[in-house]
Amino acid sequence: MATCIITGVGSGIGKATAIMLSHRGYYDHYALIGRNAADMAATAAAMSCNIPAAAIHTYNLDLSAPEGIPEVVASIVATTGSIDALLNIAGYTDPQPLLTTSLESFELTYRVNVYAPFMLMRECVKYMKTSGGKILNVASTAGMTPRPGWLSYASSKAALISISETLTAELSEYGIMVYCVSPGRCATKLRRRLAPDEDPSTIMQPEEVAEVICNLINPAEKCLDGQNIVIRKMINR
Amino acid sequence: MFTLLFLSGGTGSRMLNAVPKQYMLLAGKPVVMHILERVDQLPEIAEVVMVCAKEYEPAIALMLNQYGVRTPVRFAPAGSTRQESVRNGLAMVATDNVIVHEAARPFVKVEDFQRLMEANEPNAMLGEAIPFSVLVGHEYVEGALERSSLVNVQLPQKFQTQLLREVHEKAMADGATFTEDAAMLHKYHPEVPIKICPGMPYNLKLTTRIDMLVGEQIYDEVFRKRK
Ligand SMILES: NC(=O)c1ccc[n+]([C@@H]2O[C@H](COP(=O)([O-])OP(=O)(O)OC[C@H]3O[C@@H](n4cnc5c(N)ncnc54)[C@H](OP(=O)(O)O)[C@@H]3O)[C@@H](O)[C@H]2O)c1
Repeated sequence: MATCIITGVGSGIGKATAIMLSHRGYYDHYALIGRNAADMAATAAAMSCNIPAAAIHTYNLDLSAPEGIPEVVASIVATTGSIDALLNIAGYTDPQPLLTTSLESFELTYRVNVYAPFMLMRECVKYMKTSGGKILNVASTAGMTPRPGWLSYASSKAALISISETLTAELSEYGIMVYCVSPGRCATKLRRRLAPDEDPSTIMQPEEVAEVICNLINPAEKCLDGQNIVIRKMINR
Repeated sequence: MFTLLFLSGGTGSRMLNAVPKQYMLLAGKPVVMHILERVDQLPEIAEVVMVCAKEYEPAIALMLNQYGVRTPVRFAPAGSTRQESVRNGLAMVATDNVIVHEAARPFVKVEDFQRLMEANEPNAMLGEAIPFSVLVGHEYVEGALERSSLVNVQLPQKFQTQLLREVHEKAMADGATFTEDAAMLHKYHPEVPIKICPGMPYNLKLTTRIDMLVGEQIYDEVFRKRK
C-alpha cells in the first residue's frame, strides 16, 4: 500500500496539490502534516470526494518544532505500512533586511523551511531506503538570485535547493528520487506577506504549481529529479 | 540460514590515517555501512557477527541505528591477526553456515551475496582469473607461475560453520597461519570441494589511499542508479 506524506496542506500550493493528487490515484494513503487542524480537515474533506476518507490521515505538528518529526513518521508507518513519497511544501517567511532580522525570526524561518524538511527526509529515508520512492522539496526562485529584504527566507530556500542536489546523489543507490521545484510568484497567503500590494489575480495560481508537482510525483516519472525546476508563468500585462 | 561473519578489525595503518579505512566515508557513507545496508536486504542472513576493536562498538551501534539496519548485529573482539579474528567471530556463530566477508570490500551487490548463497556446494568462494603475468622472485626472477591455473581470491566466502571451526582449531594447534579461510580448509580437508563462483571486477579491496579514489568511481559506475 503506497503512502504519500504532504506538509503545508492547510492552504495555497500544498492544499491544491493534496486535492489534485486525490484525483490521480498514484498512492493508496495520504498522510497530511500541519499545525492547523481546521484547515487540514477542510483539505481532507475536499480530498474525500475522490478517495475513501480512511485513506487520509492527518497529523497535527508545528514544523517549527521538528523534534516531533520522528514520532510522527513512526506513527505514519505503523498506520499505513510504508512511505513512498514525501512532499515538503510547508514554508514560512518573515521578510526583513539584515539590520532588522532578529535571531529568533531567522531561526524560525530555518526551522520550518530547512530543519523540518531535513528531519522529515532523514526519518522517511530510514523506511524508503529498502523500496525506493520520491521526495519533492518546494524551494523558491528567491533561493536562486539575491533578494534584498528577504534575507532569512531567500537563504533558507537556497539551502533547500542545495540539500536536494546533494541528496539526489546520496540517495540514488536506494532508488529514491529527489525533486526540487522553485516556483516564482504564486497567489497564496505567503506571497501576500512578501508582496502585500500585488493583485493576486495577475500571477500564477496554486493549482498551476500543483499540476507540475503532481506530474513529477507520478511514479511513472523517471527523468526530472536532481535539478532545480523553476515554475514560472507567462502573465498577461 | 546464514550468519555474516564481518571482519572489521583492521587499524588502517596502510592509509596513514587516524581513522581506519572501514570507517572513512565512501560516496558519503561510512565504508562499513555499504555492506551492512545490503546485507539487511537479505532475509537469508539471520545475524551479523561483527569482529571489531572494542572502542568502535558504540560508534557502530549508533550507525546501525541511524541507518535503520534491522538484521541483528553482535560484536566479537578483534584478534591480533586476521585468523584470530575469524576464530573469535566463529565462536559466536549460531547458524550451520557462515559467510565470511571483510569491511574493506564494500563493492558487493545483494545479487553477488545471493549467488554465493545459492551455489550448489556448502563451501564456496568468489574468485577471478588473474589478468596479468606473475613471476616468482625477489631481486631476480626465480621462476614462472602458470597464470591460467591461478585464481584471485575475493571475499565473500561461505563455509559450513562446524567445518571451519574445526580447521581453525587445527591451524591454531599447528601454529599455522593462512591469509584466508579457503586455503586453510583446503589444506586440512583437500577432499572437501570448495566451489569457485565467478568474482566481480568491481570487488576492489580498499587498501591504500588511492583505492578510496578509485572506489568513488566504482561506486558511481556500479551502485549509483541515477545516470
Ligand atoms: N507563493 C509563492 O509565491 C511561492 C513562491 C515560491 C515558493 N513558495 C513556497 O511554496 C510553499 C507553499 O507556500 P504557499 O505559497 O502555498 O503559501 P501558504 O498558503 O502560506 O502555505 C504555507 C503552508 O505552510 C504551512 N506552515 C507554515 N509554517 C508552519 C509551521 N510552523 N508548521 C506547520 N505548517 C506550517 C502553512 O500552515 P499555516 O496555515 O498553519 O500557517 C501553510 O499550510 C512554501 O514552501 C513557499 O515557500 C511560494
